[in-house]
Amino acid sequence: MNGKGYLLVLCVAAAAGCSHMKEPSSGAGAAPTISKAANPDLPQGVPGWKQGMSDAHATSPLAPHAGKMTVTPDNEIPLSSLKVPAGFKVEIWASGMPGVRHMVRGDSGTIWAGTRTIGRVYEIKDAGGKRTSRVLVDKLTQPNGVAIKDGKLYVVAIDKVLRYDGIEANPNVQPVDVTAAFNLPPKQHHAWKYVKFGPDGKLYIPFGAPCNICLPPPEYAQIRRYNPDGSGMEVVARGVRNSVGFDFHPRTKELWFTDNGRDWLNDDGPEEELNRVTKVGEFFGFPYCHANGIPDPDVSKPNACAGVTMPVTTLGAHAAALGMRFYTGSMFPAEYRDSILVARRGSWNRTKLNGYDVVRVTPSSDGRSAKVEPFLTGFMDASSNKFWGRPVDVLQMPDGAVLVADEQVGAIYRVSYGR
Amino acid sequence: MVGSSTWRGLLLAALSFPAAAADRIALCESCHGPGGNSTTANVPSIAGQPVTFLENQLIFFREGLRNAPVMVPLMKGVEDAEVTSLARHFNGQAPRPVKAASPDPAAVARGREIAGKRHCGQCHLPNYRGRDQIPALAGQRGDYLLDTMRSYRDGKRTGADTTMSEVLDGLSDDEIRALGAYLVSLP
Repeated sequence: MNGKGYLLVLCVAAAAGCSHMKEPSSGAGAAPTISKAANPDLPQGVPGWKQGMSDAHATSPLAPHAGKMTVTPDNEIPLSSLKVPAGFKVEIWASGMPGVRHMVRGDSGTIWAGTRTIGRVYEIKDAGGKRTSRVLVDKLTQPNGVAIKDGKLYVVAIDKVLRYDGIEANPNVQPVDVTAAFNLPPKQHHAWKYVKFGPDGKLYIPFGAPCNICLPPPEYAQIRRYNPDGSGMEVVARGVRNSVGFDFHPRTKELWFTDNGRDWLNDDGPEEELNRVTKVGEFFGFPYCHANGIPDPDVSKPNACAGVTMPVTTLGAHAAALGMRFYTGSMFPAEYRDSILVARRGSWNRTKLNGYDVVRVTPSSDGRSAKVEPFLTGFMDASSNKFWGRPVDVLQMPDGAVLVADEQVGAIYRVSYGR
Repeated sequence: MVGSSTWRGLLLAALSFPAAAADRIALCESCHGPGGNSTTANVPSIAGQPVTFLENQLIFFREGLRNAPVMVPLMKGVEDAEVTSLARHFNGQAPRPVKAASPDPAAVARGREIAGKRHCGQCHLPNYRGRDQIPALAGQRGDYLLDTMRSYRDGKRTGADTTMSEVLDGLSDDEIRALGAYLVSLP
């Protein structure tokens, strides 16, 4: 018997006694109703990934797509099928790095990129127009998160936080294991991290819900920030199902983040979200309320969307909106300033593929709504319902060009304009 | 320092399946059985498993991501091309499951019920033959299945995703035994 599962059961049975379940002005006091689909095994189990799948879905052919862990040579990457707006150009910038995902750039130009399944962090150097890469560290459990501050590289895996001090000057520096200071909760599902230092100097780390749909234990479904040494933890955003991308507005300094909607409801949603945090501790709805106000049928309560901050915009059904950056460079046309480029890894829990692109999101001047349009497309073919690439993160370079990491073929593209 | 012509030679050797892989296939079969059909306790059958599943596991061993004292040293430094060759080879072998002793019908029934609630056959397919990164369970050795399920539940194995650790979360040893009984009863 899993002790944590039992604790969770007690909380479900006596909701009023569980302080973590009191959401501000969101139907406080009302015990939520958990459907059998969201938790079929009470009292012996805990909510899980398959839960929320109704019996009607039991024979669905949909399942997460297989990643590729072997090297893809450049001549097997169908670069010519990629499309960008007029005046833009896309090229392969670096390749041969299976599973490459979240990227960060050091002051001297070194780029580090995390992965999930293959357990590596790559280090990429730009040597006179040609890129070389090495594996900085391997054997980690999904080290997706990389961040840098004051020359210190942070590598964040599901169960580990490593810090490499002064790594650009000393490439062979051994990491300091600072895991204990961050008090990472144990569950693995949705626990891969996207990490970044904010303008406040703090390290922001999301902690996804350990399920598709469930009433999560109190340490999950949130975005936290820490001092660089792991002290001073604060929960910045709550009710966040699984955020794998965020950035800070270049002028307001507010945190904007993407969040993945739940699976197994239907093909059309709930859509992924782009959210904006205006106050610390703000509540974004999970598990009660999704997208633009869709109450959850499996974890339900009256007035499910009361007190929930609605998204700035939705980003497509099951499209997996992940890494995102505000564009602050001067290479792209002026109207791209303060636009957000969002990598959408692409759907699996949907009959017709959706996403598999980078979109440009242009927020309104008050930051309450946004326009979404294609930016980098061609990773999938709608007529055959097949894909070959999966963009997961974007990174702006000092010259204003943008790098896009493609996890499926282990390559990084460079998107530039003019010249 | 190894000269570039030597590297080219090694590369060609690695790419020229089947000659280069014949020794390694024999090595695989010395534990996994003829054609990858295991007759050894706790050693899985690999015949007919999906290519991507086999590739993934070999890479997990090579990268030190899956703990198996025999496999990790065997895979150290093996190139992607040979991984793929081996995966394709054993995918092409016909599964010849050893008929297990008749499992307890009550355990089979309980296992079928758990598998239904956890929707195991949704990813592994209703016939439990697997696809892509998702292995075939039908025809697999029961002892190996039990060990694998416990490893996922206890966070000792991650797999291609975190899915299995989540699906099995909270199951008791008895429930896992029941699931195993059901899976080995499959045709």
